[in-house]
Amino acid sequence: MTIAQETAKVPSRSAARRRNRLDIREGRTAFFFLLPSLIGVILFLVLPIIASVVLSFTNWKLLGQPAFVGFANYVRLFTVDPQFWPVLRNTLFFTAEYLVLNLVISLGLAVWISSLKVGQKWFRVIFFLPTFTPGIAVAIVWMLIFAPGGFFDFLMGALSIHMPSVLTDQNLAMQAVVVVSLWAGVGYNTVLFNAALDMVPANYLEAARIDGATAWDRFWKIRLPLISPTLFFGTVMTAITSLQVFDQIYVLTRGGPGSATATLGYAIYQKGFQNFQMGYASAIAWVMFALIMALTAFQFWMQRKWVHYDN
Amino acid sequence: MKITYVLAAALLAGSSLLATTASAQETVNLTWQMWGDESDTALFTSLADLVTAEYPNIKVTPQFSGWTDYWTRLPVLASSGQIADLVAMQSMRMPSFYSVLEPLDSYIAADGMDKAEFETSIMNGLSHDGVQYALPYDVGPWLVYYNRDKFAAAGLAEPALDWTFDDFKADAIALTQGETFGYATQAFDYVAGPIALGADYFNDANQFDVTNAGYVDAVKKYADLTVADKASPVFASGAGAISGSGRFAAGSAAMYIDGPWVLLNTKDSVDFKIGVAPLPRGAGDSRFITAGSGWGVAAASQHKEEAFKALKVLTGPKAAEILASAGRALPGRLAQQDFWYDVAAKDVTGTRETLKYMFEHSTPFRLNEYWNDFENLLTQYMPLALNGDKSTEEVLSDIQSQLPM
Repeated sequence: MTIAQETAKVPSRSAARRRNRLDIREGRTAFFFLLPSLIGVILFLVLPIIASVVLSFTNWKLLGQPAFVGFANYVRLFTVDPQFWPVLRNTLFFTAEYLVLNLVISLGLAVWISSLKVGQKWFRVIFFLPTFTPGIAVAIVWMLIFAPGGFFDFLMGALSIHMPSVLTDQNLAMQAVVVVSLWAGVGYNTVLFNAALDMVPANYLEAARIDGATAWDRFWKIRLPLISPTLFFGTVMTAITSLQVFDQIYVLTRGGPGSATATLGYAIYQKGFQNFQMGYASAIAWVMFALIMALTAFQFWMQRKWVHYDN
Repeated sequence: MKITYVLAAALLAGSSLLATTASAQETVNLTWQMWGDESDTALFTSLADLVTAEYPNIKVTPQFSGWTDYWTRLPVLASSGQIADLVAMQSMRMPSFYSVLEPLDSYIAADGMDKAEFETSIMNGLSHDGVQYALPYDVGPWLVYYNRDKFAAAGLAEPALDWTFDDFKADAIALTQGETFGYATQAFDYVAGPIALGADYFNDANQFDVTNAGYVDAVKKYADLTVADKASPVFASGAGAISGSGRFAAGSAAMYIDGPWVLLNTKDSVDFKIGVAPLPRGAGDSRFITAGSGWGVAAASQHKEEAFKALKVLTGPKAAEILASAGRALPGRLAQQDFWYDVAAKDVTGTRETLKYMFEHSTPFRLNEYWNDFENLLTQYMPLALNGDKSTEEVLSDIQSQLPM
């Protein structure tokens, strides 16, 4: 018995050793194959990230030598800067409004497109067009429309609707940014959700119809739960991009009027590249990073309650 | 034996050093960075050719980037050691960027150059703490552009050189008819305008004090043209294509404030007669700020001596004449300003008299390292005072609270 055990063990041990050696050799080969992208990741991702952490503890002004200032940038951000809380509030407000509208509109469009008998492909292309149009170009065209005395004002005047010029009004300016972002951002989610809807097995819907489920029930109880993983992906990605909103604001409002449309993304640009306070801008960037991490983690935690995976 | 080796090595090193200096004397390639686009290439290449004509061993190559990008790239290029030998600088940015430039005083003294050949206010503008960092190629005060046809149609007399704010206001109101505004306000009006009225945004220690009574009052005067008199539209904080200049050119605003550097383009893009007038004065004497641009030698340049020689040519009389005749710049060199008046400004009434008057009444443009912050804040916050959401006092105290002390 013991001898048998021993003999059984010996070959298995040597096999394990051989496998180990093989693993090491293969691992080394794999390492060299991965090296080009690893170098890229380290040079262009890891090092800049580390650099920005270090910078956020300095007063670097792009020119001259940076000096270590400890937590001064973060203290200034949270306690002294009169701009930080409005900026944070604007960022969250924009994200909430844009996220909800984007999901509702893109889901609505996706359902509508998938119900079409003809022309599905064409509508998908049409709604996807803004996604591969450069954001800056889109924003410039919208800026010309919304600018004081521009096309929008002309239209409102022609319709005898009296309203203040959009970009110079504290409340309307943010709505203009939302409209532009929706125009540019809805297409991607529409195509995403439309593809997911088309993947819902027809026999489920057929069975439900035979059982007498209405179109409304079929949407809420079958199609929506089945596309919920895609919906979740769309929500997370849209939330991340909207927390980083920059292009539209840079072109349309530069954060104004007042601080009505100043967001974290724009604040980083303004402090870093207009006022040359790189250390302070890095500190804001890390606060933005923490915010995005926290909200994304929250969404992942929440998904257990509403996302259904088939397996 | 060892010593021989050392000597041989030293000799070798020495000879190679000699060789490099010798070749450097043969041709020195200088780079020259400035803002502009392809349409500027021919003009500035012709200036660069002047340098080679004067110093056959120096070759200057201009490099352009757009105006906004230029100021983002400049500190990045400087801190990564890629800055050009000759660097364009604008007077208002000098407090932020003087450290990338070589002090020129010793070069100017050694050369025996006469600083009085240049307009005084812009020589001051291109210096920092009394040290000259760049030599100017253009200069100009902010002034009022007006539509002569509209003045005539409204039966108004054209502005006098020493017109007051009340005159300006009365004209702006009288010119506001139907879809046309008498005046189109822009962010910088709240810098140049109050100065002309005798107000100051700084305290004696050169720090921002934008809530002082004089400045608040002056800003309010200009803001009231929009808020109370509705003689001007509100400007938007974004990069506005429909800015004051756009409205003026389109004929939907009769007056706006800008510098002589836009005169050539404005003149060519309008189908009415334009005139220029000094900014209106307050109760006291007229006083005007000027701005302008020039070129300096990079502190990190390997060829400072040659770069200064090139700079001398680029800001010399011949170059100034070329730029002025092309209408590109009202020269910082006094003697060459006539070329600009005769060519670029020939159809614009009152240019020569207005500018001469304004240069005679120029006042130092006070700046500090936070100037960019201030201008951005004005652009961002003034619309709130103009659309009546906040009072001028509130807006200025918001701005003050955000300015670094």
